[in-house]
Amino acid sequence: MSDQQPSDDALLSSLAARDLGALASLYDRYGRLAYSLAYRILGESEGAEDVVQDAFLSAWRGAPGYRRERGNPRAWLLSIVHHRAVDILRRKTTFRPAPLEVAELQPGDEDTALAAERNVEHRTVRAALESLPQAQRRTIELAYFGGYTHVELSELMGVPLGTVKGRMRIGLQKMRRALERSR
Amino acid sequence: MNDHVLDDLEAYALGALGQADAQHIAAHLVTCGSCRTEAAALAEVVGTLPDAVALREPRATLRERVLGAARADLQPTTAGDSRRWSLGSIRPARVAFAGLIAAVIVLGAVDVDAYRRVSSTTAERNEYSAIVESLRQGARVWYMTGKGDFAGSGGTLFDPRADGKQPFVLFHDLPAIPQGKVLTIWLVSPDSTWARAATFRPNGRDLQWVQITAEIAGFDRCAVTLDDSPWGRHGTIVMESRIASPTSAP
Repeated sequence: MSDQQPSDDALLSSLAARDLGALASLYDRYGRLAYSLAYRILGESEGAEDVVQDAFLSAWRGAPGYRRERGNPRAWLLSIVHHRAVDILRRKTTFRPAPLEVAELQPGDEDTALAAERNVEHRTVRAALESLPQAQRRTIELAYFGGYTHVELSELMGVPLGTVKGRMRIGLQKMRRALERSR
Repeated sequence: MNDHVLDDLEAYALGALGQADAQHIAAHLVTCGSCRTEAAALAEVVGTLPDAVALREPRATLRERVLGAARADLQPTTAGDSRRWSLGSIRPARVAFAGLIAAVIVLGAVDVDAYRRVSSTTAERNEYSAIVESLRQGARVWYMTGKGDFAGSGGTLFDPRADGKQPFVLFHDLPAIPQGKVLTIWLVSPDSTWARAATFRPNGRDLQWVQITAEIAGFDRCAVTLDDSPWGRHGTIVMESRIASPTSAP
């Protein structure tokens, strides 16, 4: 007998076989992170919950077609959450957060009791992100959490498109190195 | 020649490209190994960004919502909610073209002779024959309800089971649209990639048949948008529906 939890890959295989228990396990494993990401992007709970429901349902339906080269199951699931949330954000243009609001932490994020439960990954990634020069960090955050395209960022930040691309490139390169050093 | 897309891979990984650009990159990655390797490395870095977010607890009811939605999604594949149409249940109907096609949609009934008696044009006759032929071995269908200015209209996406038969959408009561605008049928994948399946303008008839050029496999949503042009980013969604992955069909 083994008490080991099934791997993410095993859960996804079970999902493809229409196993609701596997979906429950996947939700228990990543539901909170998925919700947190959606909340970070949308800034409100109701929309974030809709995104999470939608994303898990998409994973449920899309599991038979999942291919490993799209990333590991966790990354795949969170990319669906990200795409869905950004899609909604882009449609709600009047509610797009202002750059500075997006670039900084959402109000209250640091106050929540849940912040105390941060794990090593959280601290590592946070540190890698915060180690970037502000312009690179803000560009990456506005793109990923703010849903801005690089062309929109060029206009918003008042810099040439090439500069936006450069900040993304160098910023992600630095993050990659920082993450590699921490492993 | 292989024009690499390294200049835009960071923006692609961050989801910071417009739809047309993202589709261009995605298409390139299918054929370019070196760009694909670089894109995968970038995706790995970007994939860590969710870990930078402060954790929040969703309401406890969300878990049941997720499971309930999946449970409900199981029903069509076991109970046949995704209707299969067959010529085995032909029933006589002396109705006009619109009504007859509506019978196809609502009852799963097809009466070729009835259609021939009432159809007014060769074009309609040919169109109907093609529809009937493609549905001879059944199909999976999903209905999209028009909204906003398109309220009262709708479209049914048919995915014929017969080999070599293309999916199509049968629209009804499409309103006129402004000059220069077009309607686009999109298939949307679980990761929110929008694939253009057809572009058309309403023909002014009660019913309009539009063939789509893509396989439905791998997509979980179909949408119709009102657009300024037949290319670029999608405009206002005028109707949409979730579509189950055909791989889940029994």
